[in-house]
Amino acid sequence: MAKNIVRGYYDESYPPIPTGATRFWRRNLLWQAWRFIVLNLKIMRIIVGGHS
Amino acid sequence: MAKIVVLGAGISGHTAAAFLKKKLGRVHEVVVVSPGAYYQWIPSNIWVGVGKMTIDQVRFKLQPVYDRWKIDFRQAKATAVFPEGDQAMDRPYISIEYTGEARRGETDKIDYDYLVNATGPKLNFEATEGLGPNKFTHSVCSCDHAVATWGALQTCMLRMEEGEKLRFLIGTGHPTATCQGAAFEYALNVAYEIKSRGLLHMAEITWISNEYELGDFGMGGAFIKRGGYVTPTKVFSESIFAEYGIRWIKRAGVSKIEEGLAHYETLDGQMHTQPFDFAMLIPAFAGVGLKAFDKVGEDITAKLFAPSGFMKVDADYSGKAFEDWSVDDWPSVYQNPAFANIFATGIAFAPPHQISKPIKSPNGTLITPAPPRTGMPSGVIGKIVALNIVDQILTGRTVFKHRASMGKMGAACVVSAGFSLLKGNAATMTVFPIVPDWQKFPEWGRDLNYTMGEAGLAGHWIKLFLHYMFIHKAKGYPFWWLLPE
Repeated sequence: MAKNIVRGYYDESYPPIPTGATRFWRRNLLWQAWRFIVLNLKIMRIIVGGHS
Repeated sequence: MAKIVVLGAGISGHTAAAFLKKKLGRVHEVVVVSPGAYYQWIPSNIWVGVGKMTIDQVRFKLQPVYDRWKIDFRQAKATAVFPEGDQAMDRPYISIEYTGEARRGETDKIDYDYLVNATGPKLNFEATEGLGPNKFTHSVCSCDHAVATWGALQTCMLRMEEGEKLRFLIGTGHPTATCQGAAFEYALNVAYEIKSRGLLHMAEITWISNEYELGDFGMGGAFIKRGGYVTPTKVFSESIFAEYGIRWIKRAGVSKIEEGLAHYETLDGQMHTQPFDFAMLIPAFAGVGLKAFDKVGEDITAKLFAPSGFMKVDADYSGKAFEDWSVDDWPSVYQNPAFANIFATGIAFAPPHQISKPIKSPNGTLITPAPPRTGMPSGVIGKIVALNIVDQILTGRTVFKHRASMGKMGAACVVSAGFSLLKGNAATMTVFPIVPDWQKFPEWGRDLNYTMGEAGLAGHWIKLFLHYMFIHKAKGYPFWWLLPE
Protein backbone atom coordinates (compact mmCIF):
# COMPACT_ATOMS: atom_id res chain seq x y z
CA MET A 1 0.00 0.00 0.00
CA ALA A 2 1.32 3.45 -0.92
CA LYS A 3 2.38 5.57 2.03
CA ASN A 4 0.92 9.02 2.60
CA ILE A 5 3.07 11.89 1.40
CA VAL A 6 3.64 14.11 4.41
CA ARG A 7 4.22 17.75 3.50
CA GLY A 8 5.20 19.36 6.74
CA TYR A 9 7.23 18.93 9.89
CA TYR A 10 10.53 19.69 8.09
CA ASP A 11 12.02 23.14 7.41
CA GLU A 12 12.08 22.44 3.69
CA SER A 13 8.32 21.78 3.65
CA TYR A 14 7.32 25.37 4.31
CA PRO A 15 8.91 27.71 1.73
CA PRO A 16 6.83 28.80 -1.27
CA ILE A 17 7.30 26.51 -4.28
CA PRO A 18 6.86 27.97 -7.78
CA THR A 19 3.70 27.05 -9.64
CA GLY A 20 3.70 25.88 -13.26
CA ALA A 21 2.91 29.43 -14.39
CA THR A 22 5.87 30.86 -12.48
CA ARG A 23 8.18 28.27 -14.00
CA PHE A 24 6.80 29.10 -17.46
CA TRP A 25 7.53 32.83 -17.13
CA ARG A 26 11.02 32.08 -15.79
CA ARG A 27 11.79 30.36 -19.08
CA ASN A 28 9.71 32.46 -21.48
CA LEU A 29 12.30 34.00 -23.80
CA LEU A 30 10.41 37.23 -24.52
CA TRP A 31 9.65 37.95 -20.88
CA GLN A 32 13.18 37.02 -19.82
CA ALA A 33 14.68 39.24 -22.54
CA TRP A 34 12.70 42.13 -21.02
CA ARG A 35 13.86 41.18 -17.51
CA PHE A 36 17.45 41.00 -18.82
CA ILE A 37 17.20 44.65 -19.87
CA VAL A 38 15.52 45.72 -16.62
CA LEU A 39 18.01 43.87 -14.39
CA ASN A 40 21.00 45.22 -16.30
CA LEU A 41 19.68 48.77 -16.01
CA LYS A 42 19.16 48.32 -12.26
CA ILE A 43 22.66 46.90 -11.83
CA MET A 44 24.14 49.78 -13.87
CA ARG A 45 22.23 52.31 -11.77
CA ILE A 46 23.60 50.67 -8.61
CA ILE A 47 27.19 50.77 -9.90
CA VAL A 48 27.07 54.34 -11.18
CA GLY A 49 25.31 55.68 -8.08
CA GLY A 50 27.59 53.80 -5.69
CA HIS A 51 30.71 55.90 -6.08
CA SER A 52 31.62 59.45 -6.91
CA MET B 1 58.18 60.75 -11.12
CA ALA B 2 55.98 58.89 -8.64
CA LYS B 3 56.23 55.17 -7.96
CA ILE B 4 53.14 53.24 -6.93
CA VAL B 5 53.33 49.66 -5.69
CA VAL B 6 50.17 47.52 -5.80
CA LEU B 7 50.18 44.35 -3.69
CA GLY B 8 47.92 41.75 -5.26
CA ALA B 9 46.52 41.22 -8.75
CA GLY B 10 43.00 40.08 -7.96
CA ILE B 11 39.84 41.96 -8.86
CA SER B 12 40.74 45.00 -6.73
CA GLY B 13 44.51 45.15 -7.26
CA HIS B 14 44.32 44.51 -11.00
CA THR B 15 41.64 47.18 -11.40
CA ALA B 16 43.70 49.67 -9.37
CA ALA B 17 46.89 48.95 -11.35
CA ALA B 18 45.06 49.22 -14.69
CA PHE B 19 43.59 52.65 -13.89
CA LEU B 20 46.80 53.94 -12.32
CA LYS B 21 48.81 53.15 -15.44
CA LYS B 22 46.15 54.36 -17.84
CA LYS B 23 45.84 57.73 -16.10
CA LEU B 24 49.50 58.26 -15.20
CA GLY B 25 51.11 57.09 -18.43
CA ARG B 26 54.81 56.41 -18.84
CA VAL B 27 56.00 59.32 -16.71
CA HIS B 28 55.13 57.47 -13.50
CA GLU B 29 55.94 53.92 -12.48
CA VAL B 30 53.44 51.24 -11.43
CA VAL B 31 54.70 48.00 -9.89
CA VAL B 32 52.42 45.03 -9.19
CA VAL B 33 53.53 42.36 -6.72
CA SER B 34 51.51 39.15 -6.75
CA PRO B 35 52.52 35.60 -5.75
CA GLY B 36 50.55 33.99 -8.59
CA ALA B 37 51.36 34.16 -12.29
CA TYR B 38 47.68 34.33 -13.23
CA TYR B 39 44.70 36.65 -12.94
CA GLN B 40 41.61 34.63 -12.11
CA TRP B 41 37.99 35.65 -12.42
CA ILE B 42 36.99 34.04 -9.14
CA PRO B 43 33.16 34.21 -9.54
CA SER B 44 33.38 31.70 -12.42
CA ASN B 45 35.29 29.16 -10.31
CA ILE B 46 31.84 27.79 -9.48
CA TRP B 47 31.51 26.61 -13.09
CA VAL B 48 35.00 25.07 -12.97
CA GLY B 49 33.89 23.20 -9.84
CA VAL B 50 31.06 21.51 -11.75
CA GLY B 51 33.03 20.92 -14.97
CA LYS B 52 31.26 23.55 -17.08
CA MET B 53 34.37 25.64 -17.64
CA THR B 54 38.04 24.75 -17.88
CA ILE B 55 40.61 26.41 -15.68
CA ASP B 56 41.95 28.40 -18.65
CA GLN B 57 38.54 29.93 -19.29
CA VAL B 58 38.63 31.66 -15.90
CA ARG B 59 42.30 32.70 -15.73
CA PHE B 60 45.07 34.19 -17.88
CA LYS B 61 48.75 35.02 -17.42
CA LEU B 62 49.43 38.46 -16.01
CA GLN B 63 52.89 39.02 -17.49
CA PRO B 64 51.80 39.60 -21.15
CA VAL B 65 49.07 42.03 -20.06
CA TYR B 66 51.43 43.97 -17.80
CA ASP B 67 54.12 43.98 -20.50
CA ARG B 68 51.61 45.59 -22.86
CA TRP B 69 50.59 48.13 -20.22
CA LYS B 70 54.25 48.84 -19.23
CA ILE B 71 53.59 47.78 -15.66
CA ASP B 72 56.51 46.25 -13.74
CA PHE B 73 55.21 42.84 -12.59
CA ARG B 74 57.00 40.96 -9.83
CA GLN B 75 55.77 37.45 -9.15
CA ALA B 76 56.44 37.54 -5.44
CA LYS B 77 54.77 37.75 -2.06
CA ALA B 78 55.17 40.81 0.14
CA THR B 79 56.53 39.96 3.57
CA ALA B 80 56.84 43.31 5.37
CA VAL B 81 56.13 47.02 5.00
CA PHE B 82 58.63 49.68 6.09
CA PRO B 83 56.52 52.86 5.79
CA GLU B 84 59.35 55.09 7.06
CA GLY B 85 62.16 53.17 5.40
CA ASP B 86 64.94 51.95 7.66
CA GLN B 87 68.54 52.80 8.61
CA ALA B 88 69.78 51.69 5.19
CA MET B 89 67.00 53.08 2.97
CA ASP B 90 65.57 56.53 3.50
CA ARG B 91 62.37 55.87 1.56
CA PRO B 92 59.32 53.76 2.37
CA TYR B 93 59.61 50.28 0.95
CA ILE B 94 58.24 46.75 1.04
CA SER B 95 60.25 43.59 1.30
CA ILE B 96 59.27 40.76 -1.01
CA GLU B 97 60.11 37.13 -1.63
CA TYR B 98 59.92 35.88 -5.22
CA THR B 99 57.62 32.93 -5.92
CA GLY B 100 58.08 32.49 -9.69
CA GLU B 101 60.23 29.61 -10.92
CA ALA B 102 63.13 31.76 -12.13
CA ARG B 103 63.80 33.57 -8.83
CA ARG B 104 61.95 31.45 -6.24
CA GLY B 105 63.07 32.20 -2.68
CA GLU B 106 65.10 35.34 -3.57
CA THR B 107 64.29 38.42 -1.48
CA ASP B 108 64.18 42.04 -2.61
CA LYS B 109 63.13 45.54 -1.56
CA ILE B 110 60.83 47.81 -3.58
CA ASP B 111 60.57 51.46 -2.58
CA TYR B 112 57.37 53.41 -3.17
CA ASP B 113 55.67 56.77 -3.02
CA TYR B 114 52.24 55.18 -2.71
CA LEU B 115 51.32 51.66 -1.60
CA VAL B 116 48.01 49.97 -2.48
CA ASN B 117 47.42 46.87 -0.37
CA ALA B 118 45.06 44.63 -2.37
CA THR B 119 46.34 41.26 -1.23
CA GLY B 120 42.91 39.73 -0.76
CA PRO B 121 42.45 37.25 2.08
CA LYS B 122 44.41 34.34 3.39
CA LEU B 123 42.12 31.31 3.04
CA ASN B 124 42.34 30.35 6.70
CA PHE B 125 41.65 26.61 6.47
CA GLU B 126 43.81 26.12 9.58
CA ALA B 127 41.17 27.88 11.69
CA THR B 128 38.99 24.75 11.43
CA GLU B 129 40.62 21.41 12.19
CA GLY B 130 40.43 19.04 9.23
CA LEU B 131 39.10 21.65 6.78
CA GLY B 132 40.55 22.16 3.33
CA PRO B 133 41.60 20.61 0.03
CA ASN B 134 44.53 18.67 1.47
CA LYS B 135 42.39 17.35 4.31
CA PHE B 136 38.75 16.24 4.29
CA THR B 137 36.80 18.93 2.40
CA HIS B 138 36.92 20.66 -0.96
CA SER B 139 36.94 24.33 -1.96
CA VAL B 140 36.10 26.55 -4.93
CA CYS B 141 37.97 29.57 -3.54
CA SER B 142 40.70 29.35 -6.20
CA CYS B 143 40.64 27.86 -9.69
CA ASP B 144 43.13 25.14 -8.68
CA HIS B 145 40.85 24.15 -5.82
CA ALA B 146 37.84 24.18 -8.15
CA VAL B 147 39.54 21.78 -10.60
CA ALA B 148 40.26 19.30 -7.81
CA THR B 149 36.70 19.70 -6.51
CA TRP B 150 35.28 18.87 -9.94
CA GLY B 151 37.43 15.72 -9.99
CA ALA B 152 35.97 14.63 -6.65
CA LEU B 153 32.44 15.47 -7.77
CA GLN B 154 32.84 13.38 -10.92
CA THR B 155 33.84 10.40 -8.77
CA CYS B 156 30.66 10.92 -6.73
CA MET B 157 28.56 10.98 -9.92
CA LEU B 158 30.06 7.63 -10.96
CA ARG B 159 29.38 6.13 -7.53
CA MET B 160 25.75 7.26 -7.69
CA GLU B 161 25.39 5.86 -11.21
CA GLU B 162 26.56 2.53 -9.79
CA GLY B 163 23.75 2.65 -7.25
CA GLU B 164 25.40 4.19 -4.19
CA LYS B 165 23.46 6.84 -2.25
CA LEU B 166 25.68 9.76 -1.30
CA ARG B 167 25.51 12.71 1.08
CA PHE B 168 26.69 16.16 -0.03
CA LEU B 169 27.48 18.91 2.47
CA ILE B 170 27.98 22.46 1.15
CA GLY B 171 28.24 25.78 3.00
CA THR B 172 30.50 27.53 5.50
CA GLY B 173 33.32 25.74 7.29
CA HIS B 174 33.87 28.17 10.17
CA PRO B 175 31.56 29.99 12.63
CA THR B 176 32.56 33.39 11.16
CA ALA B 177 33.14 32.46 7.49
CA THR B 178 31.70 34.70 4.78
CA CYS B 179 31.12 34.28 1.01
CA GLN B 180 27.82 32.44 1.52
CA GLY B 181 26.82 33.55 -2.00
CA ALA B 182 29.56 31.46 -3.62
CA ALA B 183 28.71 28.39 -1.54
CA PHE B 184 25.00 28.93 -2.26
CA GLU B 185 25.71 29.03 -5.99
CA TYR B 186 27.87 25.93 -5.79
CA ALA B 187 25.11 24.03 -3.91
CA LEU B 188 22.60 24.93 -6.65
CA ASN B 189 25.03 23.91 -9.40
CA VAL B 190 25.76 20.58 -7.74
CA ALA B 191 22.01 19.94 -7.36
CA TYR B 192 21.43 20.97 -10.99
CA GLU B 193 24.17 18.65 -12.30
CA ILE B 194 22.93 15.73 -10.21
CA LYS B 195 19.35 16.37 -11.35
CA SER B 196 20.35 16.66 -15.02
CA ARG B 197 21.94 13.20 -14.78
CA GLY B 198 18.72 11.79 -13.28
CA LEU B 199 20.48 11.01 -10.00
CA LEU B 200 18.64 13.29 -7.58
CA HIS B 201 17.04 10.29 -5.85
CA MET B 202 20.55 8.99 -5.06
CA ALA B 203 21.75 12.22 -3.41
CA GLU B 204 21.04 13.92 -0.12
CA ILE B 205 22.26 17.53 -0.42
CA THR B 206 22.56 19.57 2.77
CA TRP B 207 23.41 23.24 3.15
CA ILE B 208 25.20 24.16 6.38
CA SER B 209 25.63 27.81 7.30
CA ASN B 210 26.53 30.19 10.10
CA GLU B 211 23.71 32.50 8.98
CA TYR B 212 20.94 33.19 11.50
CA GLU B 213 18.49 32.69 8.66
CA LEU B 214 19.06 31.64 5.06
CA GLY B 215 19.54 34.63 2.75
CA ASP B 216 21.58 36.56 5.34
CA PHE B 217 24.73 36.41 3.13
CA GLY B 218 26.72 38.31 5.77
CA MET B 219 24.68 41.44 5.05
CA GLY B 220 22.05 40.87 7.73
CA GLY B 221 19.71 39.64 4.98
CA ALA B 222 17.54 42.02 3.02
CA PHE B 223 13.89 42.75 2.34
CA ILE B 224 12.48 42.60 -1.17
CA LYS B 225 9.12 43.18 -2.86
CA ARG B 226 7.70 39.87 -3.98
CA GLY B 227 4.19 38.66 -4.80
CA GLY B 228 2.52 41.73 -3.34
CA TYR B 229 4.44 41.57 -0.06
CA VAL B 230 7.72 42.82 1.35
CA THR B 231 9.44 39.59 2.30
CA PRO B 232 12.86 38.72 3.77
CA THR B 233 15.48 37.12 1.53
CA LYS B 234 15.11 34.12 3.86
CA VAL B 235 11.89 33.21 2.00
CA PHE B 236 13.51 33.70 -1.41
CA SER B 237 16.56 31.57 -0.51
CA GLU B 238 14.59 28.80 1.21
CA SER B 239 12.21 28.62 -1.75
CA ILE B 240 15.12 28.07 -4.17
CA PHE B 241 16.66 25.38 -1.95
CA ALA B 242 13.31 23.62 -1.52
CA GLU B 243 12.82 23.65 -5.29
CA TYR B 244 16.17 21.88 -5.76
CA GLY B 245 15.55 19.41 -2.92
CA ILE B 246 18.32 20.85 -0.75
CA ARG B 247 17.88 20.57 3.03
CA TRP B 248 19.56 23.06 5.36
CA ILE B 249 21.20 23.50 8.73
CA LYS B 250 21.42 27.12 9.86
CA ARG B 251 23.00 28.95 12.83
CA ALA B 252 25.80 26.38 12.69
CA GLY B 253 29.48 26.98 13.37
CA VAL B 254 31.58 24.15 11.95
CA SER B 255 34.31 23.43 14.50
CA LYS B 256 36.07 20.31 13.25
CA ILE B 257 36.10 17.97 10.27
CA GLU B 258 37.01 14.32 10.31
CA GLU B 259 36.94 11.98 7.35
CA GLY B 260 33.27 11.97 6.31
CA LEU B 261 32.06 13.79 9.42
CA ALA B 262 31.54 17.49 10.20
CA HIS B 263 31.27 18.60 13.83
CA TYR B 264 29.34 21.78 14.44
CA GLU B 265 27.84 23.86 17.22
CA THR B 266 24.51 25.62 16.86
CA LEU B 267 23.60 28.96 18.39
CA ASP B 268 21.67 27.20 21.17
CA GLY B 269 25.00 25.75 22.35
CA GLN B 270 24.24 22.16 21.24
CA MET B 271 27.00 20.14 19.56
CA HIS B 272 26.07 18.05 16.50
CA THR B 273 27.64 16.01 13.72
CA GLN B 274 26.74 15.72 10.05
CA PRO B 275 28.09 12.82 7.96
CA PHE B 276 29.08 13.44 4.33
CA ASP B 277 30.61 11.73 1.31
CA PHE B 278 31.48 15.03 -0.40
CA ALA B 279 31.88 18.42 1.27
CA MET B 280 32.64 21.87 -0.10
CA LEU B 281 32.96 24.28 2.80
CA ILE B 282 34.19 27.89 2.66
CA PRO B 283 36.96 28.69 5.17
CA ALA B 284 37.30 31.76 7.37
CA PHE B 285 39.24 34.64 5.83
CA ALA B 286 42.17 36.41 7.52
CA GLY B 287 44.74 38.99 6.51
CA VAL B 288 47.76 37.59 4.65
CA GLY B 289 50.05 38.20 7.64
CA LEU B 290 52.05 41.21 6.45
CA LYS B 291 54.31 42.70 9.12
CA ALA B 292 55.21 46.39 9.50
CA PHE B 293 58.32 48.00 10.99
CA ASP B 294 59.34 51.59 11.71
CA LYS B 295 62.65 53.25 10.86
CA VAL B 296 64.51 51.73 13.81
CA GLY B 297 63.07 48.25 13.25
CA GLU B 298 60.34 48.31 15.92
CA ASP B 299 57.29 46.18 15.07
CA ILE B 300 54.39 48.54 14.24
CA THR B 301 52.10 45.89 12.74
CA ALA B 302 49.30 46.80 15.18
CA LYS B 303 49.46 50.41 13.97
CA LEU B 304 48.73 49.42 10.38
CA PHE B 305 46.66 46.28 10.77
CA ALA B 306 43.65 45.13 12.79
CA PRO B 307 44.05 41.93 14.88
CA SER B 308 42.42 39.99 12.01
CA GLY B 309 45.40 40.91 9.80
CA PHE B 310 43.34 43.20 7.56
CA MET B 311 44.60 46.77 7.11
CA LYS B 312 43.10 49.68 9.02
CA VAL B 313 41.64 52.44 6.86
CA ASP B 314 39.42 55.51 7.37
CA ALA B 315 36.75 53.56 9.30
CA ASP B 316 35.47 53.81 12.87
CA TYR B 317 37.12 50.96 14.78
CA SER B 318 35.94 52.12 18.21
CA GLY B 319 33.91 48.94 18.73
CA LYS B 320 30.42 50.34 19.21
CA ALA B 321 27.44 48.21 20.24
CA PHE B 322 25.49 46.71 17.31
CA GLU B 323 22.55 49.07 17.87
CA ASP B 324 24.86 52.10 17.58
CA TRP B 325 26.50 51.12 14.30
CA SER B 326 26.03 53.44 11.35
CA VAL B 327 26.89 53.49 7.67
CA ASP B 328 29.17 56.44 8.51
CA ASP B 329 31.48 53.99 10.33
CA TRP B 330 32.41 52.50 6.95
CA PRO B 331 35.42 53.84 5.04
CA SER B 332 35.05 55.85 1.83
CA VAL B 333 38.63 56.54 0.64
CA TYR B 334 40.46 53.50 2.14
CA GLN B 335 43.45 55.46 3.38
CA ASN B 336 45.50 54.14 6.28
CA PRO B 337 45.14 56.52 9.26
CA ALA B 338 48.82 56.23 10.26
CA PHE B 339 50.42 56.63 6.81
CA ALA B 340 48.68 58.84 4.26
CA ASN B 341 50.40 57.19 1.28
CA ILE B 342 49.10 53.70 2.11
CA PHE B 343 45.69 52.44 0.99
CA ALA B 344 43.90 49.09 1.36
CA THR B 345 41.29 47.89 -1.15
CA GLY B 346 38.95 44.96 -1.63
CA ILE B 347 39.07 42.25 1.01
CA ALA B 348 42.38 43.61 2.36
CA PHE B 349 40.75 46.46 4.32
CA ALA B 350 39.52 45.83 7.85
CA PRO B 351 35.74 46.30 8.11
CA PRO B 352 34.69 48.36 11.14
CA HIS B 353 32.10 45.81 12.24
CA GLN B 354 29.99 42.92 11.10
CA ILE B 355 26.86 43.74 9.11
CA SER B 356 24.98 40.69 10.37
CA LYS B 357 24.21 40.94 14.08
CA PRO B 358 27.00 39.22 16.04
CA ILE B 359 25.50 36.49 18.21
CA LYS B 360 27.32 34.08 20.53
CA SER B 361 26.22 30.63 21.65
CA PRO B 362 25.95 29.94 25.42
CA ASN B 363 29.47 28.46 25.09
CA GLY B 364 30.78 31.83 23.91
CA THR B 365 31.25 30.87 20.25
CA LEU B 366 30.57 33.74 17.86
CA ILE B 367 28.42 32.25 15.09
CA THR B 368 27.89 35.08 12.60
CA PRO B 369 29.08 35.63 9.03
CA ALA B 370 31.83 38.20 8.46
CA PRO B 371 30.93 41.06 6.10
CA PRO B 372 31.39 40.29 2.39
CA ARG B 373 33.70 42.56 0.37
CA THR B 374 34.11 40.50 -2.76
CA GLY B 375 33.35 41.14 -6.45
CA MET B 376 31.68 44.40 -7.31
CA PRO B 377 32.73 46.37 -4.17
CA SER B 378 36.33 45.18 -4.60
CA GLY B 379 36.51 46.48 -8.16
CA VAL B 380 34.86 49.81 -7.36
CA ILE B 381 37.13 50.40 -4.35
CA GLY B 382 40.24 49.56 -6.42
CA LYS B 383 39.17 52.08 -9.05
CA ILE B 384 38.43 55.00 -6.72
CA VAL B 385 41.67 54.48 -4.78
CA ALA B 386 43.59 54.57 -8.08
CA LEU B 387 41.77 57.72 -9.22
CA ASN B 388 42.46 59.49 -5.90
CA ILE B 389 46.17 58.65 -6.06
CA VAL B 390 46.30 59.86 -9.68
CA ASP B 391 44.55 63.07 -8.69
CA GLN B 392 46.98 63.63 -5.84
CA ILE B 393 50.04 63.01 -8.03
CA LEU B 394 48.85 65.17 -10.93
CA THR B 395 47.34 68.08 -9.00
CA GLY B 396 48.89 67.92 -5.55
CA ARG B 397 45.38 68.07 -4.03
CA THR B 398 45.11 66.38 -0.63
CA VAL B 399 41.30 66.39 -0.52
CA PHE B 400 39.98 63.24 -2.14
CA LYS B 401 37.59 63.67 -5.02
CA HIS B 402 36.45 60.04 -5.32
CA ARG B 403 34.58 58.13 -2.63
CA ALA B 404 32.94 54.71 -2.41
CA SER B 405 31.48 53.62 0.92
CA MET B 406 29.79 50.23 1.26
CA GLY B 407 27.09 52.20 3.06
CA LYS B 408 26.39 54.10 -0.16
CA MET B 409 27.28 51.41 -2.69
CA GLY B 410 25.08 48.61 -3.99
CA ALA B 411 25.97 45.11 -5.09
CA ALA B 412 24.56 42.47 -7.36
CA CYS B 413 24.89 38.75 -6.78
CA VAL B 414 23.86 36.37 -9.54
CA VAL B 415 23.57 32.75 -8.49
CA SER B 416 23.34 30.69 -11.64
CA ALA B 417 22.82 26.95 -12.10
CA GLY B 418 23.53 25.21 -15.40
CA PHE B 419 25.38 26.66 -18.35
CA SER B 420 23.41 26.62 -21.61
CA LEU B 421 21.51 29.71 -22.79
CA LEU B 422 18.14 27.95 -22.74
CA LYS B 423 18.45 25.56 -19.81
CA GLY B 424 19.23 26.21 -16.21
CA ASN B 425 18.11 28.91 -13.86
CA ALA B 426 19.50 31.80 -11.90
CA ALA B 427 18.61 33.81 -8.85
CA THR B 428 19.55 37.46 -9.23
CA MET B 429 19.85 39.54 -6.09
CA THR B 430 20.69 43.21 -5.87
CA VAL B 431 21.01 45.25 -2.70
CA PHE B 432 21.33 48.98 -2.27
CA PRO B 433 23.19 49.87 -0.14
CA ILE B 434 25.29 46.87 0.96
CA VAL B 435 25.43 48.10 4.57
CA PRO B 436 21.85 48.87 5.66
CA ASP B 437 21.27 52.59 6.19
CA TRP B 438 18.58 52.79 8.87
CA GLN B 439 18.68 56.60 8.93
CA LYS B 440 17.96 57.00 5.22
CA PHE B 441 15.69 53.94 4.86
CA PRO B 442 14.18 53.60 8.36
CA GLU B 443 11.62 50.95 7.47
CA TRP B 444 13.69 48.32 5.62
CA GLY B 445 17.29 49.56 5.84
CA ARG B 446 17.65 49.62 2.06
CA ASP B 447 16.05 51.11 -1.05
CA LEU B 448 13.36 48.62 -2.11
CA ASN B 449 13.47 49.89 -5.71
CA TYR B 450 17.04 48.63 -6.05
CA THR B 451 16.98 45.77 -3.54
CA MET B 452 15.38 42.85 -5.28
CA GLY B 453 15.52 39.16 -5.93
CA GLU B 454 14.11 37.18 -8.81
CA ALA B 455 14.65 33.84 -10.49
CA GLY B 456 14.76 33.20 -14.22
CA LEU B 457 16.85 32.75 -17.35
CA ALA B 458 17.61 36.51 -17.49
CA GLY B 459 19.93 36.18 -14.49
CA HIS B 460 21.57 33.21 -16.14
CA TRP B 461 22.31 35.30 -19.22
CA ILE B 462 23.62 38.13 -17.04
CA LYS B 463 26.05 35.75 -15.32
CA LEU B 464 27.40 34.52 -18.67
CA PHE B 465 27.55 38.07 -20.03
CA LEU B 466 29.42 39.28 -16.91
CA HIS B 467 31.97 36.47 -17.23
CA TYR B 468 32.98 37.42 -20.76
CA MET B 469 32.73 41.17 -20.09
CA PHE B 470 35.01 41.07 -17.03
CA ILE B 471 37.58 38.82 -18.72
CA HIS B 472 37.59 41.29 -21.65
CA LYS B 473 38.10 44.18 -19.23
CA ALA B 474 40.80 42.43 -17.19
CA LYS B 475 42.76 41.54 -20.33
CA GLY B 476 42.73 45.20 -21.32
CA TYR B 477 41.01 44.61 -24.63
CA PRO B 478 39.65 47.63 -26.58
CA PHE B 479 37.62 50.11 -24.53
CA TRP B 480 38.12 48.09 -21.32
CA TRP B 481 37.97 51.28 -19.25
CA LEU B 482 34.40 51.98 -20.35
CA LEU B 483 33.14 48.75 -18.77
CA PRO B 484 31.79 49.12 -15.23
CA GLU B 485 33.29 47.40 -12.22
